[in-house]
Amino acid sequence: MLRRFRLEEPESVKEVSELLGRFGEAARVYAGGTELLLAMKEGLVQYERLINVKNIKGLNEVTLDKDTIRIGALCTHHQLENAPLLHQNLAALVKLEQNVANVRVRQVGTFGGNICFAEPHADPGTLLMALGAQMIAERSTSKREIPAVDFFVDAYETCLEADEVLTEIRVPVPADKSGVAYLKFGYLERPSVGVAVALRVDAGGKSIQDATIAVGCAGPAPKRVPEAEALLKGGSVDEAKANLSKAGEIAGGASQAISDLHGSQEYKEHIVGVLLKRAFGSALSQC
Amino acid sequence: MQFEKEVEILAPREKVWNFIWDVDRFIACVPGCKEAKTIEAGKLYAATMTEKVGPFRVEFPTTIEVLEREEFTHVKAQASGADNKIGSRMKLSLDVNLREQGDKTVLAFVAGVDILGKLAALGHSIIKRKADQVLDEFARAVKQRLEGDS
Repeated sequence: MLRRFRLEEPESVKEVSELLGRFGEAARVYAGGTELLLAMKEGLVQYERLINVKNIKGLNEVTLDKDTIRIGALCTHHQLENAPLLHQNLAALVKLEQNVANVRVRQVGTFGGNICFAEPHADPGTLLMALGAQMIAERSTSKREIPAVDFFVDAYETCLEADEVLTEIRVPVPADKSGVAYLKFGYLERPSVGVAVALRVDAGGKSIQDATIAVGCAGPAPKRVPEAEALLKGGSVDEAKANLSKAGEIAGGASQAISDLHGSQEYKEHIVGVLLKRAFGSALSQC
Repeated sequence: MQFEKEVEILAPREKVWNFIWDVDRFIACVPGCKEAKTIEAGKLYAATMTEKVGPFRVEFPTTIEVLEREEFTHVKAQASGADNKIGSRMKLSLDVNLREQGDKTVLAFVAGVDILGKLAALGHSIIKRKADQVLDEFARAVKQRLEGDS
């Protein structure tokens, strides 16, 4: 049963930040509530105050600003599934959003809420890392950009300060001759392994100019894998293909996979390798 | 969940053994453990275990019962506690063995940890990783404390 709490209804990010600063761990930001309210109903967490941010204007839009796609933190998954701008520029994110949990969660759950809750099995963090996204964190008097790769600290932990609010996610528009893919494997609605690959090839499509790999869901938090990326970029496409198995092994090891009911550590590491090969193929086909 | 750890300590076995039974110093090495007290020396102890994963906090008032004790070589204990606020229980079994290895003592322990109730909703893998971290931290702290003492 949900215990009593006070609902704060600020109208600006500044007010949210001030409330967070004033009430500290007794308060939590409430957006879609799909994860937070479940945890509260189960009695796993209790807050004296929930800070409802849904009334704050301007945080639920997807816009294009030169070469950057700006996604408001309050955009629901459903909104992102259907955003024309994303369909034109970031098909991988659209596909990811179409497969988040279930239709009820996608209807009310927000992109920012998902990211801030940092549930280890969540999908977006892994893809955002591969896309080189930046998280915009605001407080009463300041604003900073946090690379996605630094944002996720541990299971259910981000690097946000106590009075910071995630307001926007900025994703660079993928360059010409590039491709991005996110693939996941799991049971029912719960992914147990997720792999994202972003590639950019030269004009002739013969060599890999840049490669980014991130793995998630298997361990406590998503992780970029530069050692595996190094095996795929800077050489020919054929060389990269020949290195895929090795890159998969490295990415599997880096995933910090933990044995559980969904599979052993070895099994999950193997799946990382399988998904890496497939995601590489999918990303390459888009280049 | 079963964990096996070994820590080599540059200290005589007797010293390590005596340390184990010095409740205050020993408990100081267990992350998140507080308010330890002896109910019956060598047999029954009580403590409160606290832990945190992101916003989730647990507090288990725990009783620790010593089941077997073989001077300088072996201890077997079990602990259990419940956090009624979040409706979860913790059970721990601990097998500790000491053996001499040159001028070192090897402290080897096998820990069986079970978390039951709503806390399990966090996911087996997250709890397992946390338990592993706690045991690693404990092993490091024991080594540091004993080797720093000499």
